[in-house]
Amino acid sequence: MTANQLILPLLIVVIFAFALLKRVNAYEAFTGGAKEGLSLFVTLFPGLLAMMFSVSLLRESGLFDLIAAGVGRWFPSIPSDVFALAFFRPISGNASLAILVDILNHAGPDSLAGRMASVIQGSTDTTLYVITLYFSSVGVKRIRNALGIGLFADVIGIGVGIWLTLHFFF
Amino acid sequence: MFLEVVLVNGIWIVLILASLMYGVGTGSLSSINQVIVQVGQQTLEFALPLVAATCFWNGILNVARAAGLLRGLQKLLSPLLKRLFPDLDQDPEALQYIAANIAINVFGLGSAATPSGLKAMECMQRNNPDKKTATRSMVTFLVLNTAGVTLLSTTIITLRAQFGAANPTDFMPFAIMATCCACAAGLLLDRLVNYHDR
Repeated sequence: MTANQLILPLLIVVIFAFALLKRVNAYEAFTGGAKEGLSLFVTLFPGLLAMMFSVSLLRESGLFDLIAAGVGRWFPSIPSDVFALAFFRPISGNASLAILVDILNHAGPDSLAGRMASVIQGSTDTTLYVITLYFSSVGVKRIRNALGIGLFADVIGIGVGIWLTLHFFF
Repeated sequence: MFLEVVLVNGIWIVLILASLMYGVGTGSLSSINQVIVQVGQQTLEFALPLVAATCFWNGILNVARAAGLLRGLQKLLSPLLKRLFPDLDQDPEALQYIAANIAINVFGLGSAATPSGLKAMECMQRNNPDKKTATRSMVTFLVLNTAGVTLLSTTIITLRAQFGAANPTDFMPFAIMATCCACAAGLLLDRLVNYHDR
């Protein structure tokens, strides 16, 4: 047993203990929430399919290896698969998810690439998508420096994630 | 907005065309054909478990909400948020939606957090003197949202489990550290650049 294996059970214990304490109908709350999750499939699948297509083509055509070999010369200690993820993480959630799946599938979740990719994917959200969605919903056109600051935070998060993985997680 | 459409659409098309032409040129035709005929099935194979896991975590989140835990988390966040959004001290409704949005984001359910986030934007837009230009509170909110702290990355946990990780949650401490650094860096830069005249 390691400490991180306690995270999920403890979280659920806390939530259900409170539910018992407050005498809420936890069963009904759970099934109601799960039902909402179902509708996600319809919104999620088309974008994922589009990005899986381009990412799989990039990998299977051999073009990815060509690009990765070029970029990899400057960062010899980073697995080449991770470059694509770091590049796409702020741009498209579906693309980065497709790349993560590709890495987990080819290199395995416990490889250096698989671990680094998991940390990077978890380190930041899709800046471009969130900014687009939120600002366009209220009709704001001039977004000031929101994109710049968001991307700066992404670079820091991805950089720290790579560093942590290299030094402590492998 | 314009930028995302151009970037995502443009990159997508260029990736597909470049990969196809390179693959045809170098003779990897059989693997390319395999992608074309199998990509639908492959995507479905990992998307279905993801949706199922999202259902599960949405259910857990809903129990937390019913037990008043989300509200508690919001209360916990509110002193911090008041300091981060000095312009919103006359707008408790906006702060409340921001707190809800951040609280759900902590659970790693970005899609479940979106409705409260859009409400927060609406509230802030109401008191915005120039409707076409973002207020600095909006900028701060989006930095907090995009670089926001995610403690529970349910999607990644599910995928790692699906591809046979020995311990699907072992990446979490590192991802949490990285997301905290990103959040701190983003907020710090936002402070320095947007709030120096205070």
